[in-house]
Amino acid sequence: MTAALSIIELRKSFGPVQIIRGVSLDIAEGERHAIIGPNGAGKSTLFNLVSGRLAPSSGEVRLRGEPISGLPPFQINRRGLSRSFQITNIFPNLSVEENLRCAVLWSLGYKYVFWKSIYRLRDVRERVEWLMERIGLTARRDTQAGVLSYAEQRALEIGVTIGGSAEVILLDEPTAGMNNSESEQAVALIRKVSEGKTLVMVEHDMGVVFNLADRISVLVYGQIIASDTPERIRENAAVREAYLGQAQH
Amino acid sequence: MSARLGSLMPWLALALLFIVTPQILSSATALTMTSLMGVMIIFALSYNMLLGQTGLLSFGHAVYFGLGGFVAIHTMNAVIHSKLPVSIPMIPLVGGLAGLAFGALFGLVSTRRAGIVFSMISLGLGELVSSSSFILRSFFGGEEGVTTNRAKLAPFFGHRFGSQLEVYYLIAAWCFFCVAAMYALTQTPFGRMCNAVRENPERVEFVGYSPRVLRLIAFCFAAFFAGVAGALGAISFEIMNAQQLGSQQSSLVLLMAYIGGVGSFAGPIVGAVIITFLQITLSDVTNAWQLYFGLMFIGAVLYAPDGVVGWLRMHLRVVRRGAAWRLAPAYALVAPALALAGVGAIMTIELANRQLAQARSEGSAMRLFGLDVDASTAWPWIVAVGLFVLGASGVRLLWPRVGEAWGDVNARLQIRSGA
Repeated sequence: MTAALSIIELRKSFGPVQIIRGVSLDIAEGERHAIIGPNGAGKSTLFNLVSGRLAPSSGEVRLRGEPISGLPPFQINRRGLSRSFQITNIFPNLSVEENLRCAVLWSLGYKYVFWKSIYRLRDVRERVEWLMERIGLTARRDTQAGVLSYAEQRALEIGVTIGGSAEVILLDEPTAGMNNSESEQAVALIRKVSEGKTLVMVEHDMGVVFNLADRISVLVYGQIIASDTPERIRENAAVREAYLGQAQH
Repeated sequence: MSARLGSLMPWLALALLFIVTPQILSSATALTMTSLMGVMIIFALSYNMLLGQTGLLSFGHAVYFGLGGFVAIHTMNAVIHSKLPVSIPMIPLVGGLAGLAFGALFGLVSTRRAGIVFSMISLGLGELVSSSSFILRSFFGGEEGVTTNRAKLAPFFGHRFGSQLEVYYLIAAWCFFCVAAMYALTQTPFGRMCNAVRENPERVEFVGYSPRVLRLIAFCFAAFFAGVAGALGAISFEIMNAQQLGSQQSSLVLLMAYIGGVGSFAGPIVGAVIITFLQITLSDVTNAWQLYFGLMFIGAVLYAPDGVVGWLRMHLRVVRRGAAWRLAPAYALVAPALALAGVGAIMTIELANRQLAQARSEGSAMRLFGLDVDASTAWPWIVAVGLFVLGASGVRLLWPRVGEAWGDVNARLQIRSGA
């Protein structure tokens, strides 16, 4: 079976500095995969390479066997890979409803349509209602995204990410900056929205990672030093030394 | 059903306004002015498709207005020359298509990037076309421009559009159609994604859209409607010259959109009406009218960035909820000081204009607010500057009261809405 997402010998340099130093990783269909690693390990860069925000220096990324590396982000998105951002990246002066509508239009086939009224698109309306319900923002539908609380903005960020029904979803630190109860809610939301999909996430909160992930990869200094089930990662000596050990101090 | 009727009401009102206006303002000057307003409404709205809707600040939008107008006027002359069965109401479409063609061509170059890069390219293209008008004299007609006679085209159901009234109704009909079309565009998937591009072009890429394609389509539409406006202008005045596509015309449309308010659909309409009215009336009253436009623009940018319509909306919200009387005392206090400063400023500008620009040819004696004064003597200057200083310091002193009143009103309205 082809993997949902394959990363093959991926490398990225900024000038003389190599940030991603030969990463290879296969993520199976339906898997929830977490990427952990110390600050500066290159986790966000890896996400940027996979989602098209950056072009790799060498190596390849394949989405269900189809090469996507080097394509612009919108092409990758149209092929079924969607991502969220560590720093909330939404449309601040548009309402919650409008934010979600922007996220669903392309996938429902409306593309650059300029001859249909937005208010007559039943499938769009239904999808947006469903999304609002899912992320718990139905009551805030007319509120400007920029004035939502932090946790609400993070939920909207996830809503915009999953809006286009992508099969492969990348979440970049979805619980960063949240308190415990917010973080628990976020985990429940992620579990809910990633059902039946392939999920890759970068996360710092070990509780969240061990709770959600089927498999964990540890990225240290631009290389994956281990990729295994949560139990084995916990026992892996190299990982303990490189990462978990530090975190416990 | 009633909701649908409710959403149609503004359009019926607009149509009625367009129909009735020449019955009330029937003088020749009024007709010329309202015709020009119709042209400028289309032009300003087309500009706001870029600035307000898509977040693209263009310094060369008059290029499409002007080129649309020139192509239209040459088409009219060709139609007259070869006696083709084309009548005047079709000409704006020709202008629009010309605008569209040039928009697509120049848009391919300029919409690659947004922000400063886009603005700079629009400025460069504007200068390029402007300066080529001095070289391609056969097309742009040199300094005197290109003229036509609209009455010589094939009649349209018996109408030859010889009178300004007929032209007014032609412009009104096209204007109504264009306003409705441009409004409808804002309600489509494309229109909403333009707003998203304005807000956050990067995120747009991650929901499947190419910001560049969105910008290009918006640019083509804006150029099309600008071309329609240019053609209507050419029909109305029966002349086109290079000024119509120059930087002055480009700044004028920016001024209209901004003064009216780029944040709302109606803003540029209001801006076009106000600026056209001032342009025609002010230029009769004073030679320094462009200076006043400049001051108005600076004033709007500094104190009313949402324009006239934004300002009105802000107040309408307060009036609707019955809190206007809380603002009234503060406004009543500031108004005289503001008026005083305004009078002082106008007097100073007019005196300076007289003394510096006209005194040599026409003498320094002038009428100012109904009084005969001599700009070369000291006392009118003392009075003028004195009034301004007095008024300005009054405004400075009293303005905090307005701020307090607004703070109070906003706090109360927020409590009542339960937020």
